[in-house]
Amino acid sequence: MKLSARQICFFLAAVAPAGKLVLMPSQLVAQTANDLLLPVALQILAQSALVFAVLLLARNGRTVYGMLSDMVGGFFAKAACVLFAAFLLFAAFVPLVEQKILVQSIFYDTLPSYVAFAPFFLFAAYLCAKPLASLGRVWDMLAPLFLVGILGVLLLSVGNADFGALLPVGAAGAGGFGRGVAYTAGWFFDAALLLPLVGKFPYRKGLAWKGALCYLGGGILLLFFLAVYYGIFAEIAVTQLFAFAHMSKYFSGITAMGRIDYLFIFAIAFVMAFYTAMPVQAAVDALTDAFGHRRVLAPTLSTAFNAALLALMLAFNFVPSATVSAITQRAFWIFPVFAAGAPLLLLALSPVLNKRRERHAR
Amino acid sequence: MRAKRFLRSFPMKLWIILAAIVAITFFSNDFGLVDIQKTAIILAAGIDRTADGFSLTAQIAVPKGSDRTTGGTSSVEIEGQGATVSDCISAIYAKTGWVPKLVFCDLVLLGEEAARANAFDALDFFLRNEYAPDSCLLAVCEGTAAETLKATSAIDDASSLALEKLFSDAAKKSGRVMTTTLREFAIGYYGRSASGYMPYVRMSSQSGAQGGSGGQNAAGGQGAAGGQSGQEMIFSAEQTAVFSQGRMTDVLTEAETFAFSLLKGNVYGGTLPSDGITLAVLRNDGSVSLAEEPTLQATLSVDLKVRLAGRDAPSSLENVAKDSVTEEELAAAESALRGAIGSLWERCAQSECDLFNLRRTLYRRSAAAYGTWKPLSQIGTEIRVRIEGLR
Repeated sequence: MKLSARQICFFLAAVAPAGKLVLMPSQLVAQTANDLLLPVALQILAQSALVFAVLLLARNGRTVYGMLSDMVGGFFAKAACVLFAAFLLFAAFVPLVEQKILVQSIFYDTLPSYVAFAPFFLFAAYLCAKPLASLGRVWDMLAPLFLVGILGVLLLSVGNADFGALLPVGAAGAGGFGRGVAYTAGWFFDAALLLPLVGKFPYRKGLAWKGALCYLGGGILLLFFLAVYYGIFAEIAVTQLFAFAHMSKYFSGITAMGRIDYLFIFAIAFVMAFYTAMPVQAAVDALTDAFGHRRVLAPTLSTAFNAALLALMLAFNFVPSATVSAITQRAFWIFPVFAAGAPLLLLALSPVLNKRRERHAR
Repeated sequence: MRAKRFLRSFPMKLWIILAAIVAITFFSNDFGLVDIQKTAIILAAGIDRTADGFSLTAQIAVPKGSDRTTGGTSSVEIEGQGATVSDCISAIYAKTGWVPKLVFCDLVLLGEEAARANAFDALDFFLRNEYAPDSCLLAVCEGTAAETLKATSAIDDASSLALEKLFSDAAKKSGRVMTTTLREFAIGYYGRSASGYMPYVRMSSQSGAQGGSGGQNAAGGQGAAGGQSGQEMIFSAEQTAVFSQGRMTDVLTEAETFAFSLLKGNVYGGTLPSDGITLAVLRNDGSVSLAEEPTLQATLSVDLKVRLAGRDAPSSLENVAKDSVTEEELAAAESALRGAIGSLWERCAQSECDLFNLRRTLYRRSAAAYGTWKPLSQIGTEIRVRIEGLR
């Protein structure tokens, strides 16, 4: 099963932004106040460049494991894949925590049992056992769903936004900007999510540019969302953990029609559920690429990873804020190491690989 | 062969169906069934200060029977006391066994004493609680919130529903009431201006009123309904309480409230009483701007397009047909409105309530501009009022 270039573009433009709507806005505002757009703009530009780099890697049609084993041999390539899978599992934790508290707070109207979120892992276990390339058809459906959801929310919200709240620009200073960039790194690792897909879709001329532009397009939508979010909540934005689910309720028609905005919120939450499971799915894919035996290994790893993550979620159930802070504010440096380091290193080494292949060919 | 292939793929199909069912039930919150018999749907919360902390009066909706002759919502009021508002909620739970559900709480009413102490001592709980909507309306009432919520309304089954009628969009457009929500008030409180406002509710007895309006307001918990037990009450919210640093500092008169509404540009179809005539507002442009040079000066402008709504004396048929207002009458209306705006500014300046968010305006302009801020009483004002009739 192969992905198409269109499906990759759909993911970059209209699935990847879904993962940045829950805790990131309020965490960002805590550091930057009204200057929240600048750090995110920088992250989006950097990720677009990295997406470009990852898609360029796809030109030779080899998987990342295939490239690594040609460069450094099977043993080191396997070790690198294990390390990369460990990073993806680490990166999966914040989206899972986000999903859990989102479901508990938005879909319930009194405090639910803390195991209410557990069924998600059944869904994730199924999804993660499937190869990443099977997501192509899913992205075909999720991308329009996300666009309808986010545009619906924005349409109902934008009238209540006071964009003057974004002024004065630069009030957070260089320190605030720096912290904003560093502490949002935990949400921007989409280029790394693409790495296990390399070699599983045909590279067509211009795909690297198209992919980067699609990511940029999704990023602009995200920036507009953040501007509306801050325009609505201004000084209390830092308290709004699930802004996308609250922003539209101030629309004047809601009092007459009821919470019709829930249709859009559900659409976004549905897309988020797939995005949340994706790092684990990418980890399973990276390992099955390296070790083979996909039919046995994928379900085993999927079950093991999801069971372990469920156990961790229950263990850290009462420290969600500390958990998210530990990952995004203390261990934030891990994200650029893998999300930027891995694709750039592979791209830098690809001439070596090409030379070796040419030599072998002769 | 076909059967074999079907059987081979059957476990996976079953798994997909199971996953779909789980996903649907997960997203539709079917795991979170609500037992209505054990749940208290709070329509409104009234908060008062006590010697030991707070007293919260929750107006709880009670389902009516299936009698088709009655409609609407009946309610009971339950009081809980504690050091914090959260304690009060827990006390209500302990007293009644009902799980308090705040998701439908559309009104938080503060007693006068609670508002004068610091409104955010009381509102903190509602801002923190993710199940309480921050789109709920806020209001201050004369006396205690408990008395007001327990009062029998002459116009609705539940006093909170009668109050919410006063805060409707139509009422807001009339210019007679200035409504605010928890979100707006919190933004003002935590913002640079640290100021805000809420409608100020008074109640008076409806003399001669007979019977209910279809239902009954059963006072529960702490006994009889306020001091006006049995008497039907009418609420009004034409005055506005203004807040600085979270504390209620003053109450605007009806005329000042209307002027405030006009400055905000809220009014459409509202009426402006003047010397012997009443004008209906057809268009309302209002603004408050701040100039830094040479010294800080606020400009309060109101530009109205009006038509005559009524006179206090009989008019000729020609005058009724023409529907015209004389220049003198418009000038008198302008003068009255200018006076109300001036009085509004004076009241805000005295209590240092930055109702028009001028400090925030300066902050948004630049750091240098923000540095020029000085107390409201030292800021110059220019009031521009222009009222035009239909031609």
